[in-house]
Amino acid sequence: MSAELFSLFYQFADVFAFLILSAAGLAIVFGMMGVINMAHGEFIMCGAYVTVGLVNLGVPLVIAQILAALTAGLIGVAVEFLIVRRFYKRPLDSLLATWGLSLIVTQSMLLIVGSAVRGIGTPEGSFAIGGYTFSSYRLVLFGCAVAVLAGLYIVFMKTRFGVIARATMQNAAMAKALGARTGRIYAISFGIGTGLAGLCGALYAPTMTLIPTMGATFVVESFVTVVIGGANVLLGTAPAAVFLAVIRMTLNASYGQIIGQIGMLFAVILIIRVLPEGLSSVLVRRGR
Amino acid sequence: MFKLLDGPQTLGRGKIFWSCFFVVLVCALIYPLFADSYDVGNFSYFLIWIFMALGLCLMWGYGGMLSFGQTFFFGVAGYSYGVLAINMGGGTATIAALVLSVVVAMIAAGILGYFMIWGGISGIFFGIVTLSATLVLAFFLGQTAGPEWHIGTARLNGFNGMKGMDPLAVRDFYIEGSALYYVMIALIVVVYIALRMLVNSGIGNVIVATRENPQRAEMLGYDVRKYQLLTFVIGSGLAGLSGALYTSWGQFITPSSIGLPAAAMPIVWVAFSGRSDLTATLVGSFLLLFGFQTITVYSQQTALVLMGALLLATVMLAPQGFVLGIGKLVVDRWPGRRPRDAGPALADAVRLQSDET
Amino acid sequence: MALVEVKDVSKRFGGLTAVSDVDLTVNAGEVHCLIGPNGAGKSTLFKLIVGLYPPTKGSIFFDTVDITAERPYARVQRGMSIKMQAPSVFKELPVRQNIQIALQARFSGAERSTEEDRLLTLLNLAQDAGKLAGALSHGQQQWLEIGMALALQPQLLLLDEPTAGMSPEETFKTGELIKSFNAEGMTVLVVEHDMAFVRQVAQRVTVLHLGKIFARGNLEAILQDDKVAEIYLGKTHAH
Repeated sequence: MSAELFSLFYQFADVFAFLILSAAGLAIVFGMMGVINMAHGEFIMCGAYVTVGLVNLGVPLVIAQILAALTAGLIGVAVEFLIVRRFYKRPLDSLLATWGLSLIVTQSMLLIVGSAVRGIGTPEGSFAIGGYTFSSYRLVLFGCAVAVLAGLYIVFMKTRFGVIARATMQNAAMAKALGARTGRIYAISFGIGTGLAGLCGALYAPTMTLIPTMGATFVVESFVTVVIGGANVLLGTAPAAVFLAVIRMTLNASYGQIIGQIGMLFAVILIIRVLPEGLSSVLVRRGR
Repeated sequence: MFKLLDGPQTLGRGKIFWSCFFVVLVCALIYPLFADSYDVGNFSYFLIWIFMALGLCLMWGYGGMLSFGQTFFFGVAGYSYGVLAINMGGGTATIAALVLSVVVAMIAAGILGYFMIWGGISGIFFGIVTLSATLVLAFFLGQTAGPEWHIGTARLNGFNGMKGMDPLAVRDFYIEGSALYYVMIALIVVVYIALRMLVNSGIGNVIVATRENPQRAEMLGYDVRKYQLLTFVIGSGLAGLSGALYTSWGQFITPSSIGLPAAAMPIVWVAFSGRSDLTATLVGSFLLLFGFQTITVYSQQTALVLMGALLLATVMLAPQGFVLGIGKLVVDRWPGRRPRDAGPALADAVRLQSDET
Repeated sequence: MALVEVKDVSKRFGGLTAVSDVDLTVNAGEVHCLIGPNGAGKSTLFKLIVGLYPPTKGSIFFDTVDITAERPYARVQRGMSIKMQAPSVFKELPVRQNIQIALQARFSGAERSTEEDRLLTLLNLAQDAGKLAGALSHGQQQWLEIGMALALQPQLLLLDEPTAGMSPEETFKTGELIKSFNAEGMTVLVVEHDMAFVRQVAQRVTVLHLGKIFARGNLEAILQDDKVAEIYLGKTHAH
């Protein structure tokens, strides 16, 4: 019995980790500046490629993953500075601009790197409970997802940067009037967002085939999590991921991956009919 | 009637514009007399996509609804045409298949649109939800390789796509080559004229009013949701028309014409051309498709990189669109040929835009 | 005869009760002003009548029909017409088209053109008809929006601070315009700050304070009420 319970938890943890890791970066960028970064998937791809490249050069996996996340974060800051910065008053245009960027990056990668790169294989290690065998790495991923949530909570609730960032989120003009350097806050937040995307790619790199279009695998999950979560990252994203993970897990178990994804999309469309502003609006209202 | 054609919602008015229009139309009509049949076939191929672009122009430029789901409805209708044509057999039934598949796409748009619009989804989220639906459909169709995935005798065939449906035909006369080309030209003229009349009508007034300020429009007694749904169904239906024609033209359709990067293409065409005007979209999309097709022959990736660069450049340099910008310049510089009301309005429009940027 | 009846209506936002157990009757044919200090709940009550918020409690009747659950457009179709506080016109459309959009539900063809011209002249906007509405001055936008509200030829005209941002002359002209439409039988409900304007147009006045009805009656009675002067009029005179 406990083995079955653990198996259920394991399946939930797997989907939950995927949703949190792929959505966290997107959610921060959206929550902070109302911008949907359409190149989000490409930052994930960047993290994955850097990780695999470094491991193939002999760098230990964990260090390669950290470096990959940092790389994606730095590129993100550059992208913010060169492109996104111009469009803070026009969120739709920033979406189009980043989509253009996404097309350029994916297709250039296909031209330069070609379609497949030698993978590095999932780290060994599994354990058995009852009659079931579980991969340890999947639990590591779950641990990372929880750590990301905890990290975001600490950064945004306990640090000076977090206070200023939340003030900027609430009212950018006012925060600016009070002396916050909103430009720098935006650049750092965008960097954190893309760094988290890079981390997602780095963490999943060992488990999947690397192709330049791999970003697309993540974008649906990250989009729907952000749509359901609403504008408040801290309050919305985690509950949204729990909610979607339960639906996804149930459907995956009985009908397979395809129905799981379709069912998740239907759930999202039903939810927006009832709660147009996402889960966080309800939670915020309750909290008052 | 003529007032609707020449109304305030569309640039390009008056004698000079319509003279140009007829000259272009005549050139298009005599083109097959001078070109070989391969080129005519190619030409028909990129005319297919024009409907999708015009539909997006209506939704995005006039209605303010940025749908990323044009390839969703393209795919729904494209696959529907395949399923219907295979199951109903060839011949005249293919015409029915074409019409029905567009209807199916419009029904799908009605359902998806109902949930989004009545749920109050707008702006960025409208794009995100439509794109999510599109990617999930592409993913789903990619997984249908097994023999258990069939509708009637039509196999979905996963990534390899559905094939073996008949092209459009009347009895045993296949509509292909020049015949298909003339059908396309006729359809484009009809759709273009009909859309011009729609946007210049009372309904069009409410559609643009809703884009400008939905609350104000509602306070004038209009149920804006119904107008938005109508716009979405028409715009998506046009994407469906493109899809059905595409399947019939090549006698196959694959999930890759739904997913990324295909889903981005209509956005690039319409953004580059100038979303706020039908004529600009018509001209710009045609030019882009022509250019894209020419480069694709050498390298598809390069063509797509270029498309991405064009989208980025449009947003950064000419957010209202390049073709529209050039068109406005021409109208403004045209010596002494300024319609009385439009002149100052146009000047103001240009000024407002420069204020924004 | 009561045209609008607000019965026992409350509106809460989270822990804040913006409007509490309010009863309000607007009789057919009168100009009724809703006044009160900032934060009294005037705008919330206005939005409840318009249908932008659902009330937490109570019901609202228009012409004896319960409209509590109806959306704004349905209320407008019943004969209400609304001008919101901030000027909200279709900024990127020409002035004439703004008027057209308001008129087209009732008029068509040549009749509509005549009506357009009549309204544009009435609003002093005839020479700006081809301009984009967003290029008009703040006061002109207010006028345009009042014109759009009038174009619906409503039974009841609802105005939320119609004179905000207007010069004293413009305010006076607006008052005269409202009175002339009232003389033709239109009922008007105005939320207003400007006491000079209220004196000019109001026949009956309701005073809101802290979300509750504080006083009501005809203009003279309210103006002489010491308690009203204390909470509201005194402050107004002070600045």
